Amino acid sequence: MATDARSACIRRVLGSFPDWSEPVVFSPPVFRVVIAAALVAAACGVPVGGRTSAATIEIVDDFGDTLRLAQPAERIVSLNPVITEALFALGAGARLVGRTHWDTSPVAALAVPDLGDGMQPNVEAVLAARPELIVLYASNANRAAATAFHRAGVPTLTMHTNRIGDLPRALHRLGLAIGDTATARRVADSVTRSLDAVRGRPRGAVRPTVFWHAWDAPVITIGAGSYLNELVDIAGARNVFGDLSQPSPQVTLESVARRNPDFILAGPVTARRLRADARWQAVPAVRKHQVLVIDTSIVGRPGVRMGEAARFLRAALDSATGVRRP
Amino acid sequence: MSVSRWLLLAVALVAACAAGLALGPVPIVLGDVMRALIGAGEPQTIAIVRDLRLSRVVLAMITGAGLGMSGAALQGTLRNALAEPYLLGVSGGAAVGAVLAVVAGLTAALALPVAAFAGAACAVLLVLLVARAARGRADPRILLMAGVVVGAFANAAIMVLLAGAAEGTVRSALWWMMGSVAGADWVTIRWLTLYALGGGVALVAVARDIDLLALGEDAAAGLGVHVAAATRRIFLLAALLAAVTVAGAGLVGFVGLIVPALARALGVRRAREVLLASAVLGAALVVGADVVARTVRAPAELPLGAVTALIGVPFFLVRLRRVS
Repeated sequence: MATDARSACIRRVLGSFPDWSEPVVFSPPVFRVVIAAALVAAACGVPVGGRTSAATIEIVDDFGDTLRLAQPAERIVSLNPVITEALFALGAGARLVGRTHWDTSPVAALAVPDLGDGMQPNVEAVLAARPELIVLYASNANRAAATAFHRAGVPTLTMHTNRIGDLPRALHRLGLAIGDTATARRVADSVTRSLDAVRGRPRGAVRPTVFWHAWDAPVITIGAGSYLNELVDIAGARNVFGDLSQPSPQVTLESVARRNPDFILAGPVTARRLRADARWQAVPAVRKHQVLVIDTSIVGRPGVRMGEAARFLRAALDSATGVRRP
Repeated sequence: MSVSRWLLLAVALVAACAAGLALGPVPIVLGDVMRALIGAGEPQTIAIVRDLRLSRVVLAMITGAGLGMSGAALQGTLRNALAEPYLLGVSGGAAVGAVLAVVAGLTAALALPVAAFAGAACAVLLVLLVARAARGRADPRILLMAGVVVGAFANAAIMVLLAGAAEGTVRSALWWMMGSVAGADWVTIRWLTLYALGGGVALVAVARDIDLLALGEDAAAGLGVHVAAATRRIFLLAALLAAVTVAGAGLVGFVGLIVPALARALGVRRAREVLLASAVLGAALVVGADVVARTVRAPAELPLGAVTALIGVPFFLVRLRRVS
């Protein structure tokens, strides 16, 4: 009986983990480009597109609910770091009246009130910010919160942001909600183009295999369900656990040794620890010092900075495999 | 117990260890395993056998032996066949101590078992106080209920301690609470061995008191046992052993319940022999359970505590029927 209660409790807590793994720090150059694009779009007076009309804006979200807005939302609470970042990129950062504790990118987001967690959020704290629109991460753990927001009469938009393909859809819906689909399209196109630019550079016969070290105890990596798996692919490598469907599968250290990746990708702190850990010497790539340090602040989330993340990963792999690029 | 039965126990332990060293995602033939153990052969094989498999096997042995002995001591002294560190909330108390230490930044291999022991000792005292308040120390069910309550309290305390911790820390803490020997490293193992050996030897040394207390407190007092002091000593040693296992492998339930019962089923009666047989059987059981945990869902790994609970819960129900 006690065990049941305990495991139920653990399941509940585990179920609340968001898919984003490490906090993302604002990186200015790309942002400036994106924001500049937004400013240009605004200055050119690009007409507002999408299914907006004088009376209402209608958007079907990822929970299948229909969001109706009489006019573009001016007070927005974003409970997903990817969305917060995207809203700043769309030039709507000033409309944010609340964010989660984990939304630290761009730096300007830190000035937005911190309302706590984005998974199973504090409903009262969110409502107290008097939002005209709440953007929620579409996960089963958030169904209760979505229902509560609907009941409180606050328009709520729930969206997945798990894969690369989710971002253009999310941007389009955000564009509808803020009344600026043209900028949304520009930003989405710019992200897609920057990813294509990396993907378009063919690698020779060599396609190195990589193990992505996401967490140590238990050992967690990335599987086919993760955006990082797509990113590895775009950067010209192959994830040794790409055959597992989950986004963040837990694996044994010995199975990492068995799959024998050419490179280990890890954050700076982890990389140092792996090299010193006797157990990890069982993985040949660690013994051969083939641990590539990944800036997790760049490669953290499937957001508007994915192009930069892909470029970074590609450059790291190119320099490790000795591939020279013009 | 006859020599042949001791041999049987030894064979069970050796077989479990052989399976633990030979089985895994990387196929290695037994001959290469043996060579790797003495440091010969491919560096890759040596690294896998010594640093991944052997360290897990050794930590699983310490965990099983500690839990088996702890359960045997508690069952004997409390005259309660359902007593065991996990169900009595002792492991939960140890977990609170360990989490407190981690939150306070004390993660040294030397300090963690001490913090866990402090928590486990508090839990033992609390369980006995609750049971006494309900005038039910003699009733196995009331004692268990007190244990469940203390365990739930420990769980709540851990959740409070973890509130506000970084997401990764919470994930690691929960993983650890479900039991695992995946993190076995030699520095930790060295310290745990030291503590476990100390607790185990001390417990065997007071085995005579356990025998006498098993006759009933009045009878034991009549035979010259200082009941209160002897009980306290045994409980603290049982708490120490449970704490060592929690510090090393998290919460692994039901081993302390199954193993002493198996030992008695083999015909062992005297406390000293029950303790030793429980140590050997416990080690074999947890090493075997870990082989299951890391192979059935490969490349993923099941929590060790889930495997032992799957074995232990049906066992518990059968025993509960018998006790009631």
